[in-house]
Amino acid sequence: MAGLNAEASWFCCGNAWGPCASTGHGACGTCNSGNFQHAWPNTSDACYAITHPDTCGITGMSRRTCGFRHATTNKCNGKRVVTSIADCGPQTDLFCGERACCGGTCASNRVIDLTPAAFSAIASLSAGLIPAGIDVG
Amino acid sequence: MGAQQVAAAQPLLIGLLLLWSSYGKFANADQTERTALPRLVGESRAKAAYRTVGGIEALVALALLLPPALTVEAAAAAVLAAGFTGYLIYAKIVVPEASCGCLSASEKPIGRRAIGRALLLLATAAAAIPASAGWWSAGSAAVVLVPEAAAFVMLSAELDRCWLLPLRRFRIRLSHPLAGTATDKAPLSATQRRLLLSPAYRSVDGLLRSDIRDYWDDEDWRFVSYTARYDGRPATAVFAVPHHESAPESVRVAVVDETSGLTLYRPTVLATAG
Amino acid sequence: MTATMDRRALLTRAALGATGLVAASAMGSLAPETAFAAAQQHPEPGQPDPNFAEGLVTGRNQDLLQVQGSDGRLHRIQLTGVTSVWKLRPTTIDQARIGDGLYARGVLLPDGVLAAESVWLNIVNLTVSITAISKSGVQFDHHGSKVIGHVQPGTTAAAYNGTPAVSDLSMLKVGRHAQVIGAWRPGTNEIDIATIYTSN
Repeated sequence: MAGLNAEASWFCCGNAWGPCASTGHGACGTCNSGNFQHAWPNTSDACYAITHPDTCGITGMSRRTCGFRHATTNKCNGKRVVTSIADCGPQTDLFCGERACCGGTCASNRVIDLTPAAFSAIASLSAGLIPAGIDVG
Repeated sequence: MGAQQVAAAQPLLIGLLLLWSSYGKFANADQTERTALPRLVGESRAKAAYRTVGGIEALVALALLLPPALTVEAAAAAVLAAGFTGYLIYAKIVVPEASCGCLSASEKPIGRRAIGRALLLLATAAAAIPASAGWWSAGSAAVVLVPEAAAFVMLSAELDRCWLLPLRRFRIRLSHPLAGTATDKAPLSATQRRLLLSPAYRSVDGLLRSDIRDYWDDEDWRFVSYTARYDGRPATAVFAVPHHESAPESVRVAVVDETSGLTLYRPTVLATAG
Repeated sequence: MTATMDRRALLTRAALGATGLVAASAMGSLAPETAFAAAQQHPEPGQPDPNFAEGLVTGRNQDLLQVQGSDGRLHRIQLTGVTSVWKLRPTTIDQARIGDGLYARGVLLPDGVLAAESVWLNIVNLTVSITAISKSGVQFDHHGSKVIGHVQPGTTAAAYNGTPAVSDLSMLKVGRHAQVIGAWRPGTNEIDIATIYTSN
């Protein structure tokens, strides 16, 4: 699959504090908020059935399993981070059509969720959502 | 409509409830892990235990619904309900995040409503014990089942989306509780998003070292400052976002030396292309 | 207080172009791309980032925080006058309290202390469905658990259908899905809502 422009957000995992206390270590069993990891919507059939990126018109999304590396680039500042899959997510079909543009490139729909460690390396946690370019890392 | 007839009517409701509950256990057997059963009987036996309970419920349900009407059937239902209440209380104390596993594939933890519902089932079954005739001869006394069924529905968190949420939606449409929250000032998160999507941000992002440190309003502008580093010197990057213009290019930025207060960098032409 | 106001006044004038620019030659290189030194080293994918800390604040000694990470790591985090602190909104370093959940990014010093550049206290990013709305707040279902979201006038904002966030919350609807950025209230299942992204 060639590079995809979509929105990236962040999520917590690893039995951390607050509402993260009972999340466990993700679908892969290795996820921690402090690691350079991410969630991908097509890690298995069961995952795809929850995230349904096809509802947003995204077809041909590759099946990638735990440990696979993607590179996420923040379109607004060019910062790039390489992370490995540790969970299933985001819930793409719940947020179809969301769009943001930076410097001539526009990104729609949510396709990747990074851990706080990875997201904060390329953007601010308080911003919540960034237009991103996603390729194989 | 005598007490006898009211008691006679109960098995209809109990039987239907137990049938539904038993169906739920077979249809969603994979949600056994989320209940407290693995803790109670051991992981390997949890699924079998779950299915066994479902089977017993189905048997008791059929006994209650089909003739003949025997007192022992109501007593069996009462014992089942008592056991279930005890299990829910145990589960709530020992495995608080366990789901009920009661009627459907709900992840929700066991709440007071689930326990209340189990107690209601127990009371209903106990009320059925003195009956001497089957539910088919309860006649007009069956109308008492309607409020009872409503009570069960209201105690079932899984069914909220069928009646409670639509009711709340309707009430909110009449008068929204948060109607008075609009103001004419943009919230900080809107300013932040405009800033992050602007060419001004792109031109200085390599210098930024923190998230937003300070923000303030002054006439037609909102200012947002970040810690920065310019040429090895500690500095502050300050963005000016106009309230009344929305184009990304209207956002301005300057980098100011921390110690001397001198302006170190201020892009004059902000390219629109990335 | 006056020091802050003077500083803000200076920054205001600089941003609006009312101050002179220091000559290029006096400052060395001009272009920010070349002024920026080597990028921070990133860890291997899947590995913890030594320049990032996550956990609960368990102690505070002046401006040094002790943080117990959920992955077992213990962190010491140094807050400075130029550290940004987020606690529902940008605030000051004295707001970091024991019991707060924390994410911090900075530079790991040779003695093992993390010199924090950005700190986010109790920040959560939740995917929820809205189950009830009342004057005191919004009730959410977060993967089966109940979370109460409080509205803070002046801060809480809603972004509907991807449009810019506004302070008007009267278009929130029961039953809709939402993403909520907020600040957790330690020890509870309640949060203060910063921004809620939803459809109307």
